[in-house]
Amino acid sequence: MVKTDMLPQKAEILDITQETTNLNIKTYKVKFKDDDFQKEFNYKPGQFMMVTIYGVGEAPFGFASSPTNKDYFEFSVKEVGSVTKELHNKKIGDTIGIRGPFGNGFPVETTDGKNIIFIGGGIGLAPLRSLINYVLDEKNRDNYKRVQLLNAFRSPEDTLYCNDYDRWESTKNTNVRYTIDEPCEGWSKCVGYPHTLIEDKLEWDLPNTRFFTCGPPIMIKFVTNRLKDLGIKPSEIITTLEMKMSCGVGKCGRCNIGHYYVCKDGPVFTMEQLGEMPDEY
Amino acid sequence: MMLKKINSSQFEKLFNKLKKDYNIAAPILHQKGKKELIEYSVIDDFNKIVWDKQPDTSPKNIIFPQNTLLGNDYEENKEYDNDKITIVLGVRSCDLAAIKTFDQVFIEDEMYTDQNYQDRRDNTILVGLSCEQREETSFCDVLGIDAIESDYAPIYLFKDNEIFWIKINDQKYESIFSDLPDGNQQDFEKLLNFRRKNFNQSSFDLDIPVPLPEKEIFKSEIWEEMSEKCLSCGVCTYYCPTCYCFNFFWEGEGEDSTKYKNWDSCMFSSYTVHASGHNPRDSKDKRYRNRIMHKFSYHPLNYEGLGCVGCGRCIDRCPVNLDIREALKLTEQFLDEKGGA
Repeated sequence: MVKTDMLPQKAEILDITQETTNLNIKTYKVKFKDDDFQKEFNYKPGQFMMVTIYGVGEAPFGFASSPTNKDYFEFSVKEVGSVTKELHNKKIGDTIGIRGPFGNGFPVETTDGKNIIFIGGGIGLAPLRSLINYVLDEKNRDNYKRVQLLNAFRSPEDTLYCNDYDRWESTKNTNVRYTIDEPCEGWSKCVGYPHTLIEDKLEWDLPNTRFFTCGPPIMIKFVTNRLKDLGIKPSEIITTLEMKMSCGVGKCGRCNIGHYYVCKDGPVFTMEQLGEMPDEY
Repeated sequence: MMLKKINSSQFEKLFNKLKKDYNIAAPILHQKGKKELIEYSVIDDFNKIVWDKQPDTSPKNIIFPQNTLLGNDYEENKEYDNDKITIVLGVRSCDLAAIKTFDQVFIEDEMYTDQNYQDRRDNTILVGLSCEQREETSFCDVLGIDAIESDYAPIYLFKDNEIFWIKINDQKYESIFSDLPDGNQQDFEKLLNFRRKNFNQSSFDLDIPVPLPEKEIFKSEIWEEMSEKCLSCGVCTYYCPTCYCFNFFWEGEGEDSTKYKNWDSCMFSSYTVHASGHNPRDSKDKRYRNRIMHKFSYHPLNYEGLGCVGCGRCIDRCPVNLDIREALKLTEQFLDEKGGA
C-alpha cells in the first residue's frame, strides 16, 4: 500500500519538441530535480502521471517514453484547457510538478512471445509510444514476434514522433505504416481511416496477435468493430481511456465508469472488460 | 470492556479536566443568519452541548475539512490547537458508520492511503452517543445500522436524563475514566432493552440486493423521473456524512503556491467535464444515478458495507424535496418488475 500526501515532486523540463506543424502538440522531456528520486523512479508503459503547473492546476498525461530509459521521461501535450495552455508556455529549464506513476499500465508481461499490432490515431499515439519504444528496445525486442504499427493522422501536418520513424522502421521484423484521412499532394503513404486499412495493409491474421489501439473515441470504436468482424477476440484488443481526474488514486470520485475507477483500475482495459462495464464514458 | 456511570456534574468535571489536554469538539447551537444549526465545534463550556437532537452536520468537517491545506496540517483552522488530540463528543451510530466508509477509502484501501486523512484520524478520538429517538427522515435501521449502540467508537455514551453511562470499548482509554464509579452491568442491560423496545422503527421498508446490479440499473428510466426537479446545487453531498468527492485548488503563484483539497460534488454539472468539452455525465439523471449507485453499488463492490447510512440529512436539506428513499423504492420496483417479467 502506497501512502500519498497528494503533493507533486519538482521536475525540470530538459527539452521540448514541437510535434505537429500547427504546433498544437508538444512533447516534454523531464527529470526530477531530486537525482535520487529520479534514479528510483519506475513506471510501466501505459501508466500515467499528474502534471502540476504550480499555482494553476494539475492534469493527467500518459507516459510517452519507455521506462527502459532511466535518465528522463516524456509526455506529449495537446493544447486544450488551462493547464495545457500554461504547459505550452513553459520553456526548457522551467520547473513543473509531477505525481505518479498511476494506473495499471499495459499488460507487458502477458504479451511476451506474441505478435503485436499497434493502431494509434493522433495524440492517441502518445501512450502507445511508451509501449512501442519498450517493445522495440533492443533489450526487449526478442521477447516479441512480428510487430506492426499503423499510425493514423488527420493530415501530413498532424504527424507526430517523426524523429522515431527511422528507428522504428529499421528495427528487425517490424512493419510501420502511416495513413492520413484525405489524399494530399506529396503524400505517398496510405490514405484512409485506419479501420479501412487493417485487411490490406496489416498482416492481421497472424496467430497469437495482440492489438493495442488508442485514438479519438470514434476511431477506437470503428477499429474495434472491424477487428471483431475479422474474428479477433475482444480480450486481445487493448485500449487506454482518458477521463477528467484530480487525485489519480481512486478517491476524488470523478473518473469512475460504474464501480471501476479509470485512474486505478485502468486506464488500460481490454475490449472484453469495456463490454462488461456500463456505458458511461 | 469498562462500564462507568456518572451524573452530569461528574461529567462536567471530567470535561473541564480533559479540555486542558485535548481539543473537545461537540455539537452546539450555531446562529447562522436567521437559522439555527447544530454543528460540531471546539467548545469550552460543557453545558452548551446539544445532546437530544441529531446534529445538522456530521463531524466530517473535523477529519476531512471542507478546505484542507495540503502538507501543512491544521494550520488553516485556528479553532483547533495543533498540538492536541481532538475528542469528538456525541457521534451517533450513523455518523460513525459514515466515518467507517471514509476509513475504508482513505486508510484501508489496498492501493493508496491518504496521508493527510490518516494524520487527522490518528489525532481524533471518537466518543459515540446512543440515540434516544428517531429523527423523522432517518432510516438507518433499514440499512442495518444500530442507532442504540455501535462498536466503531472506542468510547460510547448512553445518556439517560441526567445520567451518563460510558462504555469504554478500547482498553487504551480506560485510564481516563478509572477514577469514576463503575456502572452495574445488569442495570445497563435494562436501559438498553428499554431503549430498544421503545425506539421507533422508521416507516420506510426496502428490499433491494446490495450491491445493486450496475448494468441492469443503468437501463432503468427512473433516474430521469427522479432527477427532473434536481437543481444540481450539491447541498445533499455537502450535508451527506459519507460523501467525500474532492478537487484540488491552488493559491498563490508559481512554486510558492499552496495546494488545497476541497470538497467537490458529483452533482455539479462541471464535475466530470474533460478539457475537450466531452462530459461522460452530462445530464442530471446520470449525475443523480451516480450518487445513488456510488452508495448502493460501487462502494459495496469496492469496499464493504453501504455508502449510505440513512441519516436522512439529504432529505431534510434538499431545496426541491428530493427523497433518496423514493429513489430506492423506485429501484426496488424496477428490479421487481424486471424479475417478474
